[in-house]
Amino acid sequence: MRRTLALVRKEIAVLFGSPLAYVALTLVVVVTALIFFDHLRVYNQILFLYATTTMGGFESDTVPDYINLRDTVFFPVMETLGLTLLGVIPLVTMRVFSEERARGTDDLLLATRLSATQIVAGKFLVTYGFVVLMMAASFVYPAMAVSQGGVGAQHLLSVFVGLLLHALAVASIGLVCSACTQSQLIAAISGFAVAFVLWDFSWASGFVSEGLHAALDALSLHPRYGAFAEGVLTAGNVVYFVALGATAFALTRFSYVWRRVAG
Amino acid sequence: MTDPSDRSPAEDASGQGGAAIAARGLTRRFGSHVALRDLDLDVAPGAAFGLLGANGAGKTTFIRLVLGLLLPSSGEVQVDGHSPEHEPEAVRSRLGFVPETSRLYPDLRVRGFLRFAGAARDLAGTALESAVDHALERFGLEDVSDRLVGHLSKGFQQRVSLAQAFLHDPPLVIVDEPTSGLDPLQQAEVRGVLGSLRGRRTLLLCTHDLSEARDLCDQVAVLHRGHLVAHGPAGQVLGGDDPLALFRGMAPEAGTA
Repeated sequence: MRRTLALVRKEIAVLFGSPLAYVALTLVVVVTALIFFDHLRVYNQILFLYATTTMGGFESDTVPDYINLRDTVFFPVMETLGLTLLGVIPLVTMRVFSEERARGTDDLLLATRLSATQIVAGKFLVTYGFVVLMMAASFVYPAMAVSQGGVGAQHLLSVFVGLLLHALAVASIGLVCSACTQSQLIAAISGFAVAFVLWDFSWASGFVSEGLHAALDALSLHPRYGAFAEGVLTAGNVVYFVALGATAFALTRFSYVWRRVAG
Repeated sequence: MTDPSDRSPAEDASGQGGAAIAARGLTRRFGSHVALRDLDLDVAPGAAFGLLGANGAGKTTFIRLVLGLLLPSSGEVQVDGHSPEHEPEAVRSRLGFVPETSRLYPDLRVRGFLRFAGAARDLAGTALESAVDHALERFGLEDVSDRLVGHLSKGFQQRVSLAQAFLHDPPLVIVDEPTSGLDPLQQAEVRGVLGSLRGRRTLLLCTHDLSEARDLCDQVAVLHRGHLVAHGPAGQVLGGDDPLALFRGMAPEAGTA
């Protein structure tokens, strides 16, 4: 445990010693703000339209129920944010393992008493921690705005848990890709590509059998994330994300075993 | 921390007279390419042992096998009687590894990096702090202890690399191409440091610099395309008229192939 904590401290120092962490944090917060304000602008325009067409000024009963902060702003923002994360998180994970291999410092790590499992655990922990920080920073904003608009604290918590699990799943995919290559560029692109393919398989319904489509759908990130956004917190969806993280951990750990064999 | 100068080669030989490193029939293939072929080699405890050869001779493959970073295709290697494959913890607790220059973390400060390297080898609390302070003093790094590793000259980076390998006072230190990429002054500096360690612990020096091997090593082995072509006292193996012939795979009369 002490060795893993030493690695965690080192990883935090390396992460915040480079501009990448600050750039990624800023990027996520700014992108979330842009998406949020864009949806808010559209929402205001719709309200304005209703206000002007009813001639008597704005009256709440003239606005349909589905035009509200929750459905017109918050959920679309979360949906777009989920998709945006597929591109942003691989930028954070790309360097975690591939940089060590490219620099040759992974030999230095493995020559200490750190085991491959401890190295993978330490790096996953720090990356997950950073992703939690990113999500917290980006979520505060829209959440505060809609807390007065019909989304209760429990529902907000469910959305946040969904966002967090989704982000951690994308990070897990990115970490596996980073462990498979020395090139940060390839790690980022492949991390995005795999996450994007896993995002949603609904497009496949017209091409594959019903059974296969159901299987692909069960693997998709989007339906799980969507369920959390609707406030549905099921054990099945949590297990899906935990299993995805555990599989990523095992594959990354295996990459170390494989390198001892293959060189 | 025990001062390394207090150590004797006999104390270093924890294997009760066994070799610090022993390879038997060690072979490593990468696909159809054989990087190391049927190597038998013993490194005696307390020796300064030079592993020589041209690029691609198999030196780094041998080091990676000793460190347990690669598995042998056949044969075996042991460190103080322990297998890197089956007892990696026991092996790594006994050795320090100095990789080639610049294989460090440029974004870490020197002291922070040494703290990490010590903690990753189970040093903690005051033992860790005193080991770091001792290493900073011993390798002349006190004045740069708060600087980023990436801002140091290559010579100082190599000192940092040496310092991390000696933190836990290991009986065996493996040094890979210690002066590669350094200017002549920096090379002299690093050789001076390595020379001061001679006789105090087992040193496996991997190099293709003949003068370095002659100055620093008691024993040398020369590899050529994965084969051991010469093995013996440094003066004898490298003392012939054309030591470069060894790098071409030709064993001189002085050496024992």
